[in-house]
Amino acid sequence: MSAMPPAHAIEPTRPPALQAIAVSKGFVSGRQRTQVLDGLSLSIEAAELTLISGPSGCGKSTLLAILSGLQQVDSGRVRALDSELGQLDLHALERFRLEHTGFVFQGFNLFPALSALEQVELPLNHMGLSRNEARQRARQSLEEVGLAPRMHLRPSELSGGEKQRVAIARALAKEPQLLFADEPTSALDAANGQIIIDILHRIAHSHGTTVLCVSHDPRLVVHADRVLAMEDGRILSDRRAPAPVIDSKRAPS
Amino acid sequence: MVALARKTLVYEWRRFLPAMLAVGFAGLLQLLQIALVLGIFGSTSLYVTGSSADLWVGYPGTQSVGLGRSIDADVQSRLLMDPQVQRIEPYLWVDGDWRGPRETGGVSVFVSGIDPAADGLMFSKVLPLALRARLAEPDAIIIDRSALGQLGIDIGQSATINGQRVRVAGVSSGLRALGGVNVLCSLDTARRLDNDTTDNGPTYLVASLRDPAQADAVAARLRGATSFGPYTTWSARDFAQRSVRYWLFDTGAGAGVMFLAGIVFLVGAAITSQTLIAAVNGSIREYATLNALGVGVGALRKVVLEQAFWVGFLGLLGASALGIVLLLLARSQDVPVVLNAPAALACIALVMGLAAVSGLAAMRSLRRADPATLLR
Repeated sequence: MSAMPPAHAIEPTRPPALQAIAVSKGFVSGRQRTQVLDGLSLSIEAAELTLISGPSGCGKSTLLAILSGLQQVDSGRVRALDSELGQLDLHALERFRLEHTGFVFQGFNLFPALSALEQVELPLNHMGLSRNEARQRARQSLEEVGLAPRMHLRPSELSGGEKQRVAIARALAKEPQLLFADEPTSALDAANGQIIIDILHRIAHSHGTTVLCVSHDPRLVVHADRVLAMEDGRILSDRRAPAPVIDSKRAPS
Repeated sequence: MVALARKTLVYEWRRFLPAMLAVGFAGLLQLLQIALVLGIFGSTSLYVTGSSADLWVGYPGTQSVGLGRSIDADVQSRLLMDPQVQRIEPYLWVDGDWRGPRETGGVSVFVSGIDPAADGLMFSKVLPLALRARLAEPDAIIIDRSALGQLGIDIGQSATINGQRVRVAGVSSGLRALGGVNVLCSLDTARRLDNDTTDNGPTYLVASLRDPAQADAVAARLRGATSFGPYTTWSARDFAQRSVRYWLFDTGAGAGVMFLAGIVFLVGAAITSQTLIAAVNGSIREYATLNALGVGVGALRKVVLEQAFWVGFLGLLGASALGIVLLLLARSQDVPVVLNAPAALACIALVMGLAAVSGLAAMRSLRRADPATLLR
């Protein structure tokens, strides 16, 4: 398998975290069949914030669903970390997601009855962590997104931006190698959107997490390490930010 | 572990209230129905359960206490040969036609001729000693307080049964009968009221045993002898059940109970499952998110099932509290209600079964918690 040349041989030092090889996906509604992705190949590098942007209906969310193992392909292969997603059954896919992936959605999808801390703790309970360990990690994660003082509040007592930060903390606390974000800022105002972008960027660089973000929000573009522009199920352009400027770990003065 | 099921139930209690009410009322309805049926049909075994006899001897094949035939009084000597038998007394059942001082039309009465001695076995649990002593007076009878109106008579007044004069010496409670009125009197009085010339012995012989726990064994070994004419023996528990069962199944009341239980179950399950399904649908995006994060469908199903369990438990709690109040109210109004452990357990099983079925139905709607739908 490792003999397989990556689709984008930009950084040959590390194997790609995610790889799509000639994937096709179509949907049938009524008699109409729509081909969303047609033989698309793509590699996503580890420890980067990769942004897929494009108009709605271009297939970017479908691509995210396929790369994250939430949807099966019609043809082609998907490799995530060291797994062939197409060969995993439903249970194994759940296991894979539990161990390796985090998700942030446009809607925050928080349980109204649970406090921020409990929202973050809940998935950790299912990872086999001890009660204390889960609570510890949940706290840390909420501190990292700046919500330490509000961790005992319920969603109804939090603002939209804070809710999305809880959702990020929930994904982050699992310490995933892969973090998928679908339109994470589109329900937020500029200031809150900016906070979310910064957090996602920081996660990629400080935790070495592969962050794949799908968005049509132009504000995100300047913060991404790599921007893929998509239209009609194809990648139109693949741009990288100038490496030396972003890679510097020093805070900009 | 974050208690998602319980926290959601508490936080969104309004959403779950209809299910709890449905479960509660289903349980209450079933509880009261069973208590009423047991109370009404339990009165057909009052003669057994209200007495302290351990052993009953009667005509073979007798299906209910009220349907006995006379047996040979000499059977008594056979019984006395058994070392376990402590005391034996005859019990005489006479079907009577009542004519009271006021116009009541025909009222059928069930005359129970018993030994009025203070240590008598028959009706020892329902008849206070002072009242019992009054039965020793000639022509004295005792009836249930609730029967005064039905018989058109007051305490101290006289009437006739089968053309023979009787006098109401007192009233008691807990003597209600099904399909007629119970009349208690002494054996002597009862013999005088019995105008059936073919009756030449007691209807039953009842006995107390030295060890009541041996009743089944003693009944078995005393059965089968034919030298004293036809008779058979039952333990008191057997004979009481036999009477109740006869009434339950011969009158179709048993089928009625089962039918209503089925209806209650269906209606309760329909409302409860709809409420639980609505609750699952209300959180479907959150469940889908958990599944995206790798929490298995099995774990999500457990949450729904746990919610169903709590709904059933809380409904049951409400039904029990209200049920006890209503049963006490019924008792105070002389409405015959009886609740025993098997009936209560049956109600609990019905309610929890209802909740479980509803939970399983609601679990199915978790299939819509597909995380791919969260990506648009």
